[in-house]
Amino acid sequence: MPSSQTPPAGATALDPTAVRPDIADVVRIIRVVPAALRATLEELKGEGFSMLLDVGGADYPGREPARFDVVYHLLRIERTATTLAQVGAPDRVRVLCAVGESDPVLPTVTDLWPSADWAEREVYDLFGVRFDGHPDLRRIQMPDDWQGYPLRKDYPLRGPALERTPRPSFALKSNVAAGTPASGKTAAALQRQIAQARGNNSFMPGSGPAAAAQSGSQPGGTVSGGAATPGQLAQQPVNLKTEDNKS
Amino acid sequence: MTTAIPESSYSVDVVERSANRMVLSMGPQHPSTHGVLQIITEIEGEIVTKASPEIGYLHTGIEKSAENLFWSQASTVIERMDYLSPLTNALCYYLAVEKLLGIDAQIPPRAQQVRVLLCELSRIASHCVWLGTGGIDLGALTGFFYCFDLRERILDLFEASGGARMHPNYIRVGGLGRDLPSGFLEKLDGVIAMYEPRMRDVRRLLQKNPILQDRMIDVGIISADDALAWSLTGPTLRATGIPYDVRRAFPYSGYEEYEFDVPTRTEGDAYARFLVRLDEMDEAMRIVRQVRKKLDTPGAWQIADTKFAPPPKETIALSMEALIHHFKLVSESFRVPPGDVYQPVEGPRGELGYYVVSNGDNRPWRVRTRPPSMYNLQVLKKIAIGELIADMVVMIGSLDPVFGEVDR
Repeated sequence: MPSSQTPPAGATALDPTAVRPDIADVVRIIRVVPAALRATLEELKGEGFSMLLDVGGADYPGREPARFDVVYHLLRIERTATTLAQVGAPDRVRVLCAVGESDPVLPTVTDLWPSADWAEREVYDLFGVRFDGHPDLRRIQMPDDWQGYPLRKDYPLRGPALERTPRPSFALKSNVAAGTPASGKTAAALQRQIAQARGNNSFMPGSGPAAAAQSGSQPGGTVSGGAATPGQLAQQPVNLKTEDNKS
Repeated sequence: MTTAIPESSYSVDVVERSANRMVLSMGPQHPSTHGVLQIITEIEGEIVTKASPEIGYLHTGIEKSAENLFWSQASTVIERMDYLSPLTNALCYYLAVEKLLGIDAQIPPRAQQVRVLLCELSRIASHCVWLGTGGIDLGALTGFFYCFDLRERILDLFEASGGARMHPNYIRVGGLGRDLPSGFLEKLDGVIAMYEPRMRDVRRLLQKNPILQDRMIDVGIISADDALAWSLTGPTLRATGIPYDVRRAFPYSGYEEYEFDVPTRTEGDAYARFLVRLDEMDEAMRIVRQVRKKLDTPGAWQIADTKFAPPPKETIALSMEALIHHFKLVSESFRVPPGDVYQPVEGPRGELGYYVVSNGDNRPWRVRTRPPSMYNLQVLKKIAIGELIADMVVMIGSLDPVFGEVDR
């Protein structure tokens, strides 16, 4: 649904990370250009950021000059920390790197942190950002032969195949509006079927096609007045069947 | 004669076989893989020489769906990621949203206490599943029933609180969906009383069991260096000796008020992870007992600002303002100021994080999960090498992956 994907005019920000409100957060935020990404992350690793918590992506269509953000979350834990006091509240760093749409390539960091392997594959799979030097850059969540990058904002929500077929309107789906019983048969066809079924029992009086049409118009009911004749009893299964058809 | 392993070959069992070498596909439909995990395994005799896990069989596009729902609706799909502890997911997401809204300091104490209570109960319930199914992997069938019985009692509590057993959707922005119902605390007391004798039984059945010890000790050893490099968190990290716990390092929802230890081991093998999780269940119950003492005093369970939390039902019939606020919340939800935030919590599997971006609209622009079990599972590539193929099952079980979260 493109309507929900495109933000309404005004009140929304094209680049939310630039207008971040003052959040009491224990994180250092660094924004780098792709050329400086590798050097920055190497330096951070040297500073003791031993853990690459996550690599994620975000898409800001229309943002110039770079459309995608790749976000690295780092955590500094000493390998020698063995008590809660030594771990303390480890430093966090968030590195945001913007990359353009025309040639979305970033250097890989799988050699610095092996945990980046699947994370980078996922960013590639869902956003189409490639990682130069990644040992095994294949799709990870979607099938290998998938076309398109699902988490891009211009990728349709319901998938390409479904999006092409127009969604049926409510009036067409509604059996009430179309005059069709829930079973899919029209009322006239049902009446014909009932009449035909009753017609087969024509050896009893009062069960001819004319009487059948009358009782068929009153679903579930028998012919009014008098006690039930054997013929009417014989109609019971037929009546039950029409009930089934209608429910 | 060696050929390259086909990296993704589906529905094949023995991919290739030569004199002493075999490429075997475990899964994706295999009960001991705890979900839909495929591992292309290269073995020499019985020794694994290469293992490539293949994930994505349960990918449902939850992050994409969340972008197309209102802020308050998105938790419905978000709870379905880690389906063994849905409340932890919901809590983490809503903490991030509350930070963006700037209302994180206004959450009433009772709401925070109930959130902590339910998350710790989730931790116990989730570890019950891990313990029960992990025991089955090793042939210990009896423990399963003891664990699942305990879990059922906890799910009864979730049902009482939110109306559903698995995905109660009880945590909302600004507090809770409603107050705890009457009779909840009595039920909770029942679970607290039941816990200790039950876990004594389970420990007696499993912890000292020589067969289990034989299968788990010195299997799947992870060093502290590897744990950091592969970004392992939670019990898997703490079994290598590093006591990193988000509840202690970056307390949220009032965790700093409670006394609890962070159990660690130094061996780093499957048995160490087993023991850390067992101890963690006891610590979680310790927190539950402390929260229980506070819950007797009633109090507000959501913020008073009806721009975010729906006004009480009784006021809707009397106040025009309340009716309008309720209508606006249901029909178009609330708007969140632009910005991005990363919020971590300690889930049963490790650091669960949400990187949430808002562009000022009434729907999230981006909801990125940091899935702990995906990172924990990834290390299988490393630790499986040199182990017996039969121990693969033990290693998967000891990493405790949940595929709703790995694949999302």
